[in-house]
Amino acid sequence: MALRFTLKKKLLRDLWGRKLALSALVVIVGIGVACYVAMASVYRDLDGARARYYRDRRLADFAVDLKRAPASVTERVAALPNVSGVRGRIDFAVLLDLPGVDEPITGRAISMPRRRAPVLNDVVLVRGGWFGGRDDREAILNESFAAAHGLGPGDRIKVTLLDRQVDLLIVGTALSPEFVYLIPAGGGLAPDPARFGVLYCPEELLERSCDLEGAVNQIIGTVHDDEPTAIRNTLELIGDELDAWGVTNTVAAADQPSVRFLADELAGLAVTSRTIPVVFLFVAALVLNVLVSRLVRQQRTVIGTLKALGYSSSQVTVHFLGYGVVVGFGGGVAGLALGWWMQTGLVSVYRQFYAVPGIEAHVYPDIAATGLAISVGFAILGTVKSVRHAASLAPAEAMQPPPPEGGHRILLERMPWLWGRLSFRRRLVLRSIFRNPFRSGVSVFASMVSTALVVTTLNNADALDVIVRHEFEQVSHQDVTVVVRDPIDAARADEVTLLDAIGRIEPQLVIVCDVENGARRKRIGVTGLPSGNELYTPLDDRGRRLVVPEEGLLLSRKLADILGVEVGDVVRLRPLIGRRETVRAPIVGIATIYLGLGAYADLGYLSRLVGEERVANSVLGVVAGRRATAELYRGVKERPAVIGVGERRRALDQIQQTFGEVMGTFIGVTVLFAGLIAFGAVLNTALVSLSEREREVATLRVLGYHPGQVSRIFSAESVALNGVGIGFGLLAGVGLTHLLSLAYDTELYRFPVVIAPENLALASALMAAFIAAAQLVIYQLIRALEWLAVLQARG
Amino acid sequence: MSEGAERPVLLSIRDASRVYRMGEVDVPALRAVTLDVFEGEILVIVGASGSGKSTLLNLIGGMDRPTAGAVVFRGEDLAVATDRRLTLFRRREVGFVFQLFNLIPSLTALENVRVAIEIADDPLDPREALQLVDLGDRADHFPSQLSGGQQQRVAIARALASNPRMVLCDEPTGALDSATTRSVLELLLRLNGELGKTIVVITHERHITPIADRVVILHDGTVASITRNEERAAVADLDWT
Repeated sequence: MALRFTLKKKLLRDLWGRKLALSALVVIVGIGVACYVAMASVYRDLDGARARYYRDRRLADFAVDLKRAPASVTERVAALPNVSGVRGRIDFAVLLDLPGVDEPITGRAISMPRRRAPVLNDVVLVRGGWFGGRDDREAILNESFAAAHGLGPGDRIKVTLLDRQVDLLIVGTALSPEFVYLIPAGGGLAPDPARFGVLYCPEELLERSCDLEGAVNQIIGTVHDDEPTAIRNTLELIGDELDAWGVTNTVAAADQPSVRFLADELAGLAVTSRTIPVVFLFVAALVLNVLVSRLVRQQRTVIGTLKALGYSSSQVTVHFLGYGVVVGFGGGVAGLALGWWMQTGLVSVYRQFYAVPGIEAHVYPDIAATGLAISVGFAILGTVKSVRHAASLAPAEAMQPPPPEGGHRILLERMPWLWGRLSFRRRLVLRSIFRNPFRSGVSVFASMVSTALVVTTLNNADALDVIVRHEFEQVSHQDVTVVVRDPIDAARADEVTLLDAIGRIEPQLVIVCDVENGARRKRIGVTGLPSGNELYTPLDDRGRRLVVPEEGLLLSRKLADILGVEVGDVVRLRPLIGRRETVRAPIVGIATIYLGLGAYADLGYLSRLVGEERVANSVLGVVAGRRATAELYRGVKERPAVIGVGERRRALDQIQQTFGEVMGTFIGVTVLFAGLIAFGAVLNTALVSLSEREREVATLRVLGYHPGQVSRIFSAESVALNGVGIGFGLLAGVGLTHLLSLAYDTELYRFPVVIAPENLALASALMAAFIAAAQLVIYQLIRALEWLAVLQARG
Repeated sequence: MSEGAERPVLLSIRDASRVYRMGEVDVPALRAVTLDVFEGEILVIVGASGSGKSTLLNLIGGMDRPTAGAVVFRGEDLAVATDRRLTLFRRREVGFVFQLFNLIPSLTALENVRVAIEIADDPLDPREALQLVDLGDRADHFPSQLSGGQQQRVAIARALASNPRMVLCDEPTGALDSATTRSVLELLLRLNGELGKTIVVITHERHITPIADRVVILHDGTVASITRNEERAAVADLDWT
């Protein structure tokens, strides 16, 4: 039913007369819509770019690492059920030596056909072109890596391939769907494209240089049915089929870190876009309900008059619903604008983290329409109760003055020993609170939500800090980690890695193993630690060092949960290299690890499992100073056995820098939004309370009260209600922190529950500041109130 | 009907009672009232506070239904009419004038009149309605910018704007000084004389009854008397002392 022209005017003028309260509401609605629109749109931007990228570049569904197999094995794999496409390739760990860069850089050289052809795990050329020179010593460099080092087509790069350093001409730069989140080995959480170089070389070059002529060391492929179970079964089949060629690992695309990080991020985004905005809009609906109820009460006679003039109940309903529609629409439009701004910001953050071409912010009309519909819907929801009441009034009834507001005694008044001790101002405050339970409840709820949001955000930031400090300071103590291609005699680790002359060293052995408990199975890297380990010290849940047993395993909590085992249980352990025999390994301890799925064993125990005495494939070391580090780097660059060097400090700095910036912005925006919600809600409920109690204010002014004294009565009410709200908010924040730690409990990372008292104090202080700001506005209004006119006004 | 002196009946109230339920107690506001309203007459209903004047006016105007009895308008019993029917009845047949004017404060005089016009079937031009009450030059003023008398004239213009048969006035001069009251009463007489509108006025001010064709006295929810003025007095002849 269309709203009559004159009533539209009335509506707009009434709204304009309440512009302060309504704009506060529009802000709350706007924030809710903005969060929804931004997150839902970013989800689609990111998911769309990811899907296009994976599809167009044919991301493989699985990868199987082999020691060495003839190229013809691809045909055998292609013949297996469920396999739809296969490609054999060489994927080789390499060290890159860049001019002007001291440290050797870990990388991977991956074979590509000399002539451009559509292949699985294809690349997108960004700069330059494909191979084509007479000399096949050419490389196409990962664009992120090239950009981080200022390299491009025409530059040259030194790469250690197996046992010699090769000088390669960079012909182009490219991005690949299998490396969208570039984390160097041991890098933890944050991408560090400068320290992880992926290069694509002609097949012939890698076959020749890696001693793999006519052979491949990796099979990648696609499947018809990509359900996790189907892929797992297919990988088992492939593993059996290729057993003779030494399968060292099989990975489904979903378990590949780069794919996983992006998938987890999208899953999180999907959940957040459906929860946070709902909370904001719910608060807005409640506050709007308070405001419109008041408006309707104030317009009781107008309703009666309209009905007396012959307006129907539905026309009256439509008119008053207009208040909700305008607030919802205004908030929706503001939200769309703010949402676009947030979306472009978020998209640029995601571009920094994920190397996916085509992550662009798009406007999605359906999301915008849904955002608008949600905001208008919630706003209407907020008005409906009051409007229904207004429309139900018989005209004769509406003409009568409203029944006196509840003058009943509140519960506290029935406790004379307590009530008698209260000053009259406190009584006024308490009566106002308890006689308007809905409004009071809305105040409490709004400040509770805002406080909880701030507490949770601050706790999350601290949780990230705890993760980083745990992994990089409390568990890891080395300066550098040197990784070698093939296991070496642990006793001679110092010679191979050149670490002996510089400081303390500790060998490590990481072996990919299948760990099974009944039907539960997980493929993970088990880390062998020497007895008396000092540089890498797994901790239990109370931060105590765990002693690595001579036999058996220490498992991370998450892995133990996945396998369904506890200390004292026995699992079946099968290394993927060496004799590949299955042994029974007792679980002797549970370690607290926040990143990845860890398992630890004694170095000798693990070595014996792979048929060796005491071997290592990485060495941790403490390096004394910059000179010593530089010396180490120089030496390592000449050691073909070494395929990677990682610096703990650098990984730590990288994480803190990358996440610190994003976290800082995130905290800022959250605090601002939470504050605006608290401010808007407090202002609105206080304005409603003020309009109801104008005569009371005027009377007090007549009696000689200063505006400050009067506003103290109002602020006392606000302080009481919001104090309770903040208290509940702190509790809710603690609860939400626990919930989030459950939600962020993935195989890649876990968020510990961190409840820092200073965060609770900070959240309370921030909320108090926003509430005080709203009180200041109320004080100004009380000061400006024309109290004499109020007293003279009728009814 | 002898009382009507040849005028046809516009609306008949038969044995109408109205009982309000206040908590546990039934409070009768009207008891078996029977009354006819004739076309084109000026009917003044007087009575003390609580005598049932407003309740009776609400029944006449379709703002309320009796708990017993009938309110018949052109053969239709409004006592059993739906909300929708009553709404249409008020929209087409009745114009209300209230003691406290009941103008919408956020609308100008002209817009207040328009509120009624926009839903009417055969309305007057809003400016014409304002001119009828001599407020053509105040069309763009908001109620807060008008005097009490001017506000009541706007309310009368609004009541007339939908071109109703009846104009019902609930204490139309209750909030006005005597000079303003005179001009408002003159206006009502003019509407009756020039436009032939049926005017029903409820008031506790007995001194204005000489302007009526008939005077109904209510007492404790019943009709105590109905008297016919042989001749209607002019406003100037009313006794204001």
